[in-house]
Amino acid sequence: MAYMGKSIGKLDSTVVFIIPVYNEERVIYDVVRDVRRNFQHVVCVNDGSRDGSAAEILRAGAYLVEHPINMGQGAALQTGVEFARQLPGVAYFVTFDADGQHRLDDVTVMLKEIQSGSYDVILGSRFLGSTVGMKRSKYVVLKLAIWFSSITSGLRLTDTHNGLRVFNRHVAETMQITLPDMSHASEILEIIANKQYRYKEVPVTIEYTDYSRSKGQSIMNAVNIGFDMLLRKIVK
Amino acid sequence: MIVVTQVAIIICALALLFRGLSGRRTHIGRAWQRIGLFLLTVAMIVAVIFPDITNRMAHAVGVGRGADLLLYGLTLAFIAYVLNNYLQQQDAKDELNRLARRVALIDAFERYNLRKKK
Repeated sequence: MAYMGKSIGKLDSTVVFIIPVYNEERVIYDVVRDVRRNFQHVVCVNDGSRDGSAAEILRAGAYLVEHPINMGQGAALQTGVEFARQLPGVAYFVTFDADGQHRLDDVTVMLKEIQSGSYDVILGSRFLGSTVGMKRSKYVVLKLAIWFSSITSGLRLTDTHNGLRVFNRHVAETMQITLPDMSHASEILEIIANKQYRYKEVPVTIEYTDYSRSKGQSIMNAVNIGFDMLLRKIVK
Repeated sequence: MIVVTQVAIIICALALLFRGLSGRRTHIGRAWQRIGLFLLTVAMIVAVIFPDITNRMAHAVGVGRGADLLLYGLTLAFIAYVLNNYLQQQDAKDELNRLARRVALIDAFERYNLRKKK
């Protein structure tokens, strides 16, 4: 969350941050405020939070898009993308987690990559980069998820379930995430493979705090995700 | 010989399950689901009145007793029911999600004075 870069006065309005929010009233204000030191557009999709997230989002100066019901992170991302692509002058889209585990320094590097025009999607990888305070059990689940996603998508990646991604308008206009919950991470990779987007992984740092750990996915949810993905593949 | 029929039964059962679930959105698929339900009911009645028939059918396909054959059919029907319900629930949730997204976007576009292109 700590962003070391200095504010450059004029806010960058060619980039939009898309942040799915579900019961994040404790942290969302700080996360949005940090982003808005350098970037004008932040879209927060409030996914039916039962706490004061919506008020915090507005207080921090982000666009608020309110899901009338809780639909899951994948659905929130899709809604966020559909809203963000109507913002005039926006060329690059960043998906960002609400719990403050991503670093803005990493986003700067990823934006440089995509601005070169050689790629459509830049994916963050904590296994090329580093993690701070990751639990052993989390490591095992992520490795399994990487193995699973590389089979379903056919892409060779070092980190498949990283919420930090940067993509261009072409991707934002053509991507359609249909899986509502956490399975969207695998689905996005399948979309990248099917639509043949040019992609690159960039090392990023994930900072696990007590807060982000408490909000993390349980191991058993991997079973749910695996079951749903396979069932949908077998009987469409 | 027994192994061959057992493998055949398993393959047929899985194929039936797959066909039944894949066709759940079509009229023909749903008709077959109802026909399956009807046949299962008939099989139950027949098994009660003429226990010998299910026994003879079981022997013909290399299964021990008629009751076993019925049990396999029942298990398959149960799995099909659970999965079919689960998938239908997912389909319904997808539709609800699409509706909720439209509501969320219409609301947000209005709030920020954005016009939806296309």
